[in-house]
Order: sequence, then structure tokens, then C-alpha cells
Amino acid sequence: MITIEHLKKTFKKNKVEAVKDVSLEVHNGEIFALLGPNGAGKTTTMRMLSTLLNPTSGKITYDGKDINEDMLAIRRRIAFLTNEIRLDGQFTPDELANYYGRLYEMSEEQIKKNKQELFDYFGITEFAKRRYETFSTGMKQKTSLAICLLHDPDTIIFDEPTNGLDILTQRLIEKYVVRLKEEGKCIILSTHILDLVSRLADRVGVIVDGRSVYCGNVSDMAASQNVETIDEAFVKLYEENHVEQNIITKK
Amino acid sequence: MHGLRLIFQHEIAKIFKDKSLIFGFFVLPVLSLMITVGISMIRPTTTQAEEYCMYFYGLNLDRINIGELDEKQIYVVSITEDPAQFMQSEQFHKYDVLVDFSDLHNVNIYYHEEDTVSSYLKSSADSFVREIYSELFRGRHPEVTFRTVAIEDLNKKEADNRLIAMLLPYMLILPLTANISNFAADTIAGEKQRGTFYQALLSPITPLSLIMGKIWSVSLISLFSSGIYIGLDVLGSKICEANGWEDLFGFAGIHVTTAEFLLILLYAVLLCYLFSNLGIFISLFCKNANQAQIAQLPVTLACTMAAMLAMFRFGTSPMLHYLIPVYNICIVFQDVLHARVQLANMAMVAISLFVMSVLLLILTLASYRSEKVTE
Repeated sequence: MITIEHLKKTFKKNKVEAVKDVSLEVHNGEIFALLGPNGAGKTTTMRMLSTLLNPTSGKITYDGKDINEDMLAIRRRIAFLTNEIRLDGQFTPDELANYYGRLYEMSEEQIKKNKQELFDYFGITEFAKRRYETFSTGMKQKTSLAICLLHDPDTIIFDEPTNGLDILTQRLIEKYVVRLKEEGKCIILSTHILDLVSRLADRVGVIVDGRSVYCGNVSDMAASQNVETIDEAFVKLYEENHVEQNIITKK
Repeated sequence: MHGLRLIFQHEIAKIFKDKSLIFGFFVLPVLSLMITVGISMIRPTTTQAEEYCMYFYGLNLDRINIGELDEKQIYVVSITEDPAQFMQSEQFHKYDVLVDFSDLHNVNIYYHEEDTVSSYLKSSADSFVREIYSELFRGRHPEVTFRTVAIEDLNKKEADNRLIAMLLPYMLILPLTANISNFAADTIAGEKQRGTFYQALLSPITPLSLIMGKIWSVSLISLFSSGIYIGLDVLGSKICEANGWEDLFGFAGIHVTTAEFLLILLYAVLLCYLFSNLGIFISLFCKNANQAQIAQLPVTLACTMAAMLAMFRFGTSPMLHYLIPVYNICIVFQDVLHARVQLANMAMVAISLFVMSVLLLILTLASYRSEKVTE
């Protein structure tokens, strides 16, 4: 389980308060969708969750353990996949899997087993000896996903995992995300596609202007805002909280 | 150590899989070799002397022609320059001889033993000098000794290594800084540009393993690459020597013992390690490989200038010079090649390089998690 308490991030360079106050809770065996407009602070929050960035203040715990207590142990348990993350193009998926598996101190047997399973699922096996740089966007994304899941993490953080992919690849990834959830993994998913949220997510957190403004079940989101759909709930949450921000600015 | 070894192996493999880097590795040195040999082939050789000279120091004589050998005139010429310095100059040809009259009771005749013309001139000079003494003392027998000294025996090492000692710092530092700048820029800034750096940041390895793995791989590859350059220059020199062309860089005449070679290698490794630390540190703050290469340009220029300054250094240097980064390495190389190594200076240079490298590593580790790096 991940607990985020009053998370704040101010970038020293330009003094931008990317995250002002985010508090969330994500349970094992659920898909948690993180929603928010562009520039709301979703990516910064996810970067802090994945240990890439240090929070200015606030607390992140994984099963009660503070993220700063043993960062390397936390990293062994998590996987972070975004569109920004790429793999070394000169290597084949096979070589990359061996390299990252060894970095995560997996046994050769374990690497072989997990690699086979993931490559088979994502249809990489026949391309396993081809250089990553020669792949199409979809194949690259599938390979990145397979490599980042190789060490069997119990927390998976996805930032727009299906962006720019064809519908078949999207479905394949979605199916795998559901499978991970069924295995009891904790999944955090950041996306703009609300349809994807209503189909996959169990719970949802909404961030507007760096603040968490909603955290609850997907099924309750619309009702909590007295609207029909989660699209409308999201827009309402955004307008209410963003208006407030505008008033502060005007004052 | 596990993470460090993996990062190191991965970085080395990455470089060898990159065809553009392989081009820089082998094709450019081969081109450089072809250019070196080509220039040597078309340059008029300076081994062809127009005349032969017997130089006299300590006697004031007019320039006189004393005969002819192989259709070339032999002249007697007085010099005022110190004999040791004169023999180092280009004016003193390998066919020539020098008679030193600075001590009238001990006359030394310097010649090049391996050259038949010089040996012949030495015999002529010996007879000539004895004739002069006989004229001067008219039958009396002054206490005087005539000694012939082969120049190679006098200081063969210095003579052999003169050119290479002047050029080696430049020839070693130039490819080294260029290679490190290239590899270090590609290592972190290039990875950020390609989006592969984050995967390494997310891995469960310590910052020390990650950074050291990268520094060591950049050091090794740069040293290897510079070794190819120098190796091919040695080959070029040998080709030139075998064909009678001018040995442009003087590598063919290099004269070092195994211990001296190892000493040069040790300092090259230390220098490489320092540059790699600096390269990685700069690369850490750049967003792409181009930016990192531009940021490293002042370092490359400063190193080239230090090497060039060392080229025109003669004799020994004060102790303080051994504390100037890069320049100190250049003068250490020269000291080794001129066999005038002083332990205190050598130790000071080694320690200063190591300390600077460690300080840079600490700075790199401290900056590793900064927002500027991970943003």
C-alpha cells in the first residue's frame, strides 16, 4: 500500500510550486487512476513516487516504510513507465532483459523465465534478437513495458502508458494491467483518457493546480459531484478548484 | 561492486555497438596515419647535407674549406655557442663533428659513431687538431689529451627522445581530451537526450556504482582509443624510417625502458581518470550530447594550450609548475623521456591528480540527485 501525505514540490530553479498539497492512498490489488489537467502536477507526483525526485515536504510510504529510509529496496519493488523513458537502441530486447535483470539482482533462471513469459505475451519473442532502435513505436513501448516489469515489481506506476499506440496494442496493455491487478499488484495509472479510467480503474484521485481535490471510488465519483458521468465530475472538480485559484490570483 | 561491474560492462558494450563511435575509433586514426606518412613522403628530406662541417669551440678561426668528400665541401667553422647546446640544435648535422677546445689540456672531438662520414671527419679532425698543436708548441710536448666522444654514448637517450618528448604530451593529451569529451558527453547528456538515463536512475544501484561505472568505462575507452592513435603513429614512424623518409614525429627513435613506459602509462591513466571525472560532471548538467560537448570545449582548449606550452619548455621546471593541472602531466612525460625524474615531483603530480579526481567525484555524487539533473 502506498500512502502520500501532504506532498509538496517546489522546484528551486524557477521557484515553481508544481505540487502544493497532495494526499492519496493506493491499495494493493487495485488500479488507481490519477487524473488532472495538463500542468496539474501529476507527472511530478509520479516522479516523486518513483524516487526520481525528492519531495520538498510531505511523506511517501510504501507499506508503512518511508521512501527515504531504504530507497534501493523501494526501487526493487517498483516499476515506472512513461513515454519519456527509452531503452538503449543498440541492444536487443534479449540483451536488455539480461542487463536489467542482473541489475535487479535476479537469478539467471528467474530472468529467463520472466523474460520468456513477458516476451511471449507482448509478441516480442520473434524480435528478441533485433536491435531496439529498429522497432516501431508500439513495439518499443511493449519492449519497455516488458523490461520494466521483468523484476516482478509489486507497485507499477504508469504515466500515459497507451499514448500514441494503436488500438490493438492498447488493448494488449490494458489486459496486462488487469492481470497485474488480479495478481495483487498496486497499480497507479495517470491518463487523460476518462474512458480508460471508467473501464479499468477501481479508485481515482484528481489533482488540480497541485492539490488533490478528490480521492475515492470511480463508481462514487459522479454521485459525489451530483452529476451523471465521471467526465462531468472531473470537469466540475476542475472548475470549482481552478476558479478558486483564479480568485486568489485576482485578490 | 555488482552494480558497478554491470554498468561498466554495459557502457563498454554500448560504445562498441555504436557504429559512429567505432568510426572515430579506427577510421580516424588510420586516416591520421595515412596523412602522417603522406606528409613524410612528400617532404624533402633534411638528411641530405649540402656541405660537411668541422665545428671548433674555443678557437677563433675563419671559415675555411679544407677539402672535399663525396662531391661535398668540408669546412672548418668556429662557434661561440655552448657545445652541449649546439649539438642539440638542428645546425649540427649527423655528418658533422665538433671539436671542443674549452680546456686546452683536454680536447674532445664529438662525432656520430654510426655515421661513416662523421667517423671520417672525426679522424680528419683528430689529425687536424694534432697538427695545430704541433704548430703551436713546435716540438715541445704539452700535457694534452685528445679524446673522441661518440655523441650517442654521451646522451643517447636525450638525443633519441628529444623530439618525442616535445610532442608526446601534445599527441597524448589531444586525442585523450577529444575522446573523453565525446564519450562523456554521450554517456549522461546523450542518455538524457535519448531518454535512457531515467531507466538507470530507477535501478536499485547506488549512485557511486552508477557514476563510477560510467567514469571507468569512459576512461578505459578513451585510453584505448588514444592508444590506437599513438600506436598507429609509432607504426607510421617505423614505415617512414624503413623507407628513408623523414620521421615526422620521431616515434621511431623512442628510447624508453619498460619501467619508464609503465610510468608514462600510469600518469596517462591518472590523467584519463581526472578528465573522465570532469567530463561526467559536466555531462550531468547538460540536456543533450551537443550541449555537453560545447560545455567541455574550454576544458579541451585549456588542455591543448597547456600541452602546447609544455612543447616549448626546455630544461627543468620549478616545483610550483608541477602543481598546474595538465601542464604538470606534460612536464612529467618530458622528465621521464629525458631521464630526469625526481621522485618528489612525480609524487606531487600523482597525488594532485588523484585528489582532484576524488573531489570531482564527490561533487558529481552530490549533484547526482539534484533537480537540474533529474528534471
